[in-house]
Amino acid sequence: MRAVLPRVGVISLTALAVFLPLGLIFYQSLLDAPFFMPHKVSLGAFEFIFAESDFWDALKNSLIIASSMAIIAVPLGGILAFLMVRTDLPGRHWLEPLLLIPVFVSPMVLAFGYVVAAGPVGFYSVWAKDLIGFVPWNVYSLTSIAIIAGLTHVPHVYLYSSSALKSLGSDVEEAARMAGASPLQVAKDVSLPMVTPSLLFSGVLVFFLGFEIFGLPLVLGDPEGHLVLATYLYKLTNKLGIPSYHLMAAVAVCIVAVTFPLVMLQRRLLANAGKFITVKGKAGRQRPLPLGWWRWVAAAILALWLFLTILVPLSGIALRAFVTTWGEGVRLADVLTLEHFRAVFEQPTLMRGIVNTVLIGVIGGALAVACYTAIALSTHRKPDGWTRFVDYLVLVPRAVPGLLAGLAFLWVFLFFPPLAPLRSTVFSVWIAYTVVWLAYGMRLVSSSLLQVGPELEEVARTTGASRGQITRDVTLPLIRFGLLASWLLVFMIFEREYSTAVYLLGPGTEVIGALLVSLWSTGGADLVAALSLINVVLVAIGLGVALRFGVKLHD
Amino acid sequence: MTRFHGHLTLSLAALALVPALAFAQVPAGYPASYADTIAAAKTEGKVVIYSTTDTAAANFLIKDFQALYPGISVEYNDMNSTEVYNRYIGERAAGGSADVLWSSSMDLQIKLVTDGNAIAYASPEIPGLPAWAVWKNEAFGTTYEPIAIVYNKRLLAGDEVPQSHADLMRVFTTKADKLKGKVTTYDIEKSGVGFMLITQDSQQNPAFWDFVKALGKIGPRFQSSSGTMMERISSGENLLGYNIFSSYAALRAKRDPSIGIVLPKDYTLVMSRVMFASKGAKHPNAAKLWVDYILSKRGQTLIGKEAELGSIRADVEGEMTLAGFTKALGATLKPIPVSGELLGFLDQTKRLEFLKQWQSAIKSGK
Repeated sequence: MRAVLPRVGVISLTALAVFLPLGLIFYQSLLDAPFFMPHKVSLGAFEFIFAESDFWDALKNSLIIASSMAIIAVPLGGILAFLMVRTDLPGRHWLEPLLLIPVFVSPMVLAFGYVVAAGPVGFYSVWAKDLIGFVPWNVYSLTSIAIIAGLTHVPHVYLYSSSALKSLGSDVEEAARMAGASPLQVAKDVSLPMVTPSLLFSGVLVFFLGFEIFGLPLVLGDPEGHLVLATYLYKLTNKLGIPSYHLMAAVAVCIVAVTFPLVMLQRRLLANAGKFITVKGKAGRQRPLPLGWWRWVAAAILALWLFLTILVPLSGIALRAFVTTWGEGVRLADVLTLEHFRAVFEQPTLMRGIVNTVLIGVIGGALAVACYTAIALSTHRKPDGWTRFVDYLVLVPRAVPGLLAGLAFLWVFLFFPPLAPLRSTVFSVWIAYTVVWLAYGMRLVSSSLLQVGPELEEVARTTGASRGQITRDVTLPLIRFGLLASWLLVFMIFEREYSTAVYLLGPGTEVIGALLVSLWSTGGADLVAALSLINVVLVAIGLGVALRFGVKLHD
Repeated sequence: MTRFHGHLTLSLAALALVPALAFAQVPAGYPASYADTIAAAKTEGKVVIYSTTDTAAANFLIKDFQALYPGISVEYNDMNSTEVYNRYIGERAAGGSADVLWSSSMDLQIKLVTDGNAIAYASPEIPGLPAWAVWKNEAFGTTYEPIAIVYNKRLLAGDEVPQSHADLMRVFTTKADKLKGKVTTYDIEKSGVGFMLITQDSQQNPAFWDFVKALGKIGPRFQSSSGTMMERISSGENLLGYNIFSSYAALRAKRDPSIGIVLPKDYTLVMSRVMFASKGAKHPNAAKLWVDYILSKRGQTLIGKEAELGSIRADVEGEMTLAGFTKALGATLKPIPVSGELLGFLDQTKRLEFLKQWQSAIKSGK
């Protein structure tokens, strides 16, 4: 009986943290004014947005971007996984952390990097113009946004397909190679088909992430007016001149209506993937496939991808952070400066933003992992209705874009009196982050828990230990390295997060991610560049520590 | 000009402990009863301000205010105009909020005031202000900021630089090759201030809709803030920016030689940051002290000289003041009055109608 109470407590709290904000969004979408002002129940908000051509444009663009992301990321991610896991590609061990950089760098930072590096007068564009007389690309077009979004989501596919590939024996591939197949044929006809469920799963993942992307279209879509659903929602903040929370909530409900079924589909695919893996050969024996001269083709593809997705934007940011002005007719040597960093360090707001970002990553990350662990333990080895409920519960926040989750949490903090004093502290941001990343964190913690053999816990039980004792003295010590690794990964994700804090931003709750959005929209490009670079450095420190301690960046 | 969320508490509590210093004088010309207001404000000890003016610019005023009234600390929060509005109404609904609101979104401020959020207060400083800057003793215009055309000095020169609204239409046709896709202005759907300026244009410019069509033809780039516009103009990605606060442009031009500023000769809109003291304020007396200080000659001198926002008092001299601009431009200056007329375009039907007409005029030019 003593063990039941905390369990129900943990699960109820989780359910409350997930459903309260979500419920507020649904409720708000059915009103004709902000819920804290005089209002009537109506479907007016939906009627309004459905009558707007901007909404349909945004929906169409979101569909185009999401589909192109899946079309680009799935094959590239699959091939990348094949090259890294299966072949003797040169330098693949030190390449692996590089591949994951786009996952840990804020899309705001990447997008801003693309503007200054490859925008109409970006550093690379000016060089291209000097060389060939014109700029052969336009980063503000819908096509470019879709391609960039696709390229930056390659790692997501890579993560899932590479871990699936690792669990397969290489005997089938060797047979194919001996029968005279080229490495490309092996990848296309043997290896990748074997991991179809993982590819499908990550395809769905990338597709629905496409419906939630915000930073890239916010920065790159602005000049030519390309809207996606999330930026359309952001635009509604001001359209009526007064707050239009009901319209924003209605758009949010539309987004969730698309993403929620996709999240559920994902879950089914994951369940099926387990069944599918029975066709694998005996796992264990793996020999890298010699690529022969193909290795140079492979290396070139990889280098091009790294150049486009990482080097171009990050070099742009780094350069912009140290110059006063840029563009056509400017000699970089004349405009070098450290002024922007001095400006950042002089602004109490920005300094607090940096401190808060570090705190939320280090301490907040640890607390979040503790929460995730409590939830995971509450379902650990208890295959009952509660556990199935939690399985679904943790997936729900995935379907809600961070921007919205942040807005909903703002409402919760404003109108739930016991929480009101916490609103202007970084705690409000922390709880929003923790809920938004619930599914991700749970996966990290659960995968460590799964590695604990049941017999160890059973031994403890037969010697008369209580459930609490088993957890404290057996399970937790066994997964402590897994938890440390989770902490590092959550640290990096929290450093990177931006959209969730946008509406929570205020005195006391500044974090770099949200400051970037705010500064960008008011044109503080100097500060945006300097803060972006600081953000990238924070993430790099996390990555460095992770690699130093041999944390596996994925399973 | 950069804008960010700021929050500043400069506590001079230590000074308040010294009774002799805490005894501030009633300013000259104020009623003797003002001493009670000062005493009550000192008991309150603090004033909370939500503002759209950068902390960096406001710092001059905060420091001087605290020197004038030791013992009253200023909690200054700077955010964008939508946030000021949304945060305020949310917090008012849930309980308490700021003591003073100070925003460049003149129409939203007037809306809050008409919705009954302001204290009616006959500030002793009212006689020093132009009549159009005071509304019902509740809302006060505090700055004098002409709206400018901003251009890239490296890449535009001579007759490529328009001198008036009519001239803008001329360069849109005669310099179309050079300017195509390189003219930037507010996205009036995203920026409340941009929307307000354009609706004022629609009343001042006799050829307004032709102007919008000509703008549409040149392929305008819409941005949500003047800072983003100036960044693009400075880099040469855009060449010409329309409806930018001259105050922000002047500040940027100081450290960025690429930025050129023109105040249009046919008419120049002038906006003024609107301030009011909030009903239900936790520190109502300190709020009054702050409002009076900002409107006073002492405060306005700093606004004109140090904060570079443009002084609204005729008795403050200098280039960035009502007096200075009037000397240079005279009757072509068209200040946007602090009045209920601003509410017109907050009416949803009217606003959406205007947006629709704007969009179709922009599109018809393409």
